[in-house]
Amino acid sequence: MKKYIIALFCLLLLVMQGMAMGWLPKGLVYSDVLITPHWVLVFLFLVAIFYDREHTYSAVWFGLLFGLLIDVVYTGVLGVYMVTYALVAYAIHGLNRWLHSTFIGASVLTIIGIALADTSLYIIYSFVQITDMTWADYATLRLLPTLAANMIVFVILFPLIKERLSIWSEELMNT
Amino acid sequence: MPSLFRRKRLMVVLIGFIVLVALIGFSIRDRDALSTPEKFLQDTVGWMQTIFQKPVSFVDTTVGNIQDMFMVYEQNQVLKSRLSEYKGVIEENQRLDRENEELRQTLEKTEALSDYSPIQATVIARSSERWFQQMTINKGEEHGVEKDMAVMTSDGLVGKVKSAGAFHSTIQLLSGFDRSNKISSWIVREDESEAFGLIEGYDDESGRLLLEGIKLDEVVEKGDTVLSSGLGGVFPSNLRIGTVEEVVNDQFGLTKTAYVEPFADLFDINHVIVVDRTAESIEEDSVMDGEG
Repeated sequence: MKKYIIALFCLLLLVMQGMAMGWLPKGLVYSDVLITPHWVLVFLFLVAIFYDREHTYSAVWFGLLFGLLIDVVYTGVLGVYMVTYALVAYAIHGLNRWLHSTFIGASVLTIIGIALADTSLYIIYSFVQITDMTWADYATLRLLPTLAANMIVFVILFPLIKERLSIWSEELMNT
Repeated sequence: MPSLFRRKRLMVVLIGFIVLVALIGFSIRDRDALSTPEKFLQDTVGWMQTIFQKPVSFVDTTVGNIQDMFMVYEQNQVLKSRLSEYKGVIEENQRLDRENEELRQTLEKTEALSDYSPIQATVIARSSERWFQQMTINKGEEHGVEKDMAVMTSDGLVGKVKSAGAFHSTIQLLSGFDRSNKISSWIVREDESEAFGLIEGYDDESGRLLLEGIKLDEVVEKGDTVLSSGLGGVFPSNLRIGTVEEVVNDQFGLTKTAYVEPFADLFDINHVIVVDRTAESIEEDSVMDGEG
């Protein structure tokens, strides 16, 4: 049951992600700096850290599903977000064992995860020649601003969602 | 037991990689139409976006209206002074229109390349992936939108329809154009006939369009207007594209390349017009030939 609520929230973030490009101040969104929102991914990290148990992989499945949805709706090149989100969610799920589930631990994992995801997106897209940015340009113009912008979203989402996910996680364990 | 797990994980990674390559290969080629599940997903997300977009755009327009109210007086003064200039132009325009129509009737040629029927649409989202210069509008095949139609704002051309769903479509902006989307266009000059060229891409660094293939002996100056010629297939003629900013010889020195500044603001777009050309396009002709 809780899974449907998580899925709905993912869908909401996905919808917002595209609309935010229209609302945010255009000087910020359309400058040379390529800020890319990964809100769904940030939320999936929280799910992987606070909701998933050792043997449940709901963040990975949601990553697969909503990655594909992002591909269909926003890019038209299928599979790229799907595989990236699923793999990164899996990696975070694995790394979670080594870090404490505190604010600091979660932010470190989120930074690693977003950097990993965005870099693999860059690698895949440069293989299929959708972008021809150099690594140096990519790092300064896209990777760092994207990390900063998504960490802001993380800081907003964290206090709103953490408690609830932990409670649901207890329920998950009891059943 | 651990070896079994590792093998399973390896299999998953391999299958994932194959699926990724297959999906990219399937979707990156120039497809005529989206598959049905894609259309369905696009429409579902599109409707959700429409719901959220309503209150936001209401607030947005209200704020805009209030800001406009403070400038009404000044604008009114400027507009009044312009109005008298336009009166003469309008009368001349009407006279020319009538003349044009009469001449066409004597030639029995009723459809011109410049005729089109507009489909009004609202932008509901932009691609969150900035490497894809795309946006979603709230009109689709049910409203008459088809792939490759030109899309403009009141200022000028902004892009073309990349794919059409049932009720929503995706638009490729001019800033995302490459060699596979050429626009046949002409440069309007004073006291001279038009020079032809093809818009063949977008220069990311300067934010200008590349108009290539202009003959070497044509004199093109900064400030000349670029319009679509309507000879490329689906675009009607006389859509405003931009002004020439800079002219250089191309790398082989055989033709000239002009850098064109688009009229339309490609970033701040809220309402667009999808242009449905009245004259039959080339694609339709070939389809009919194939059937007959």
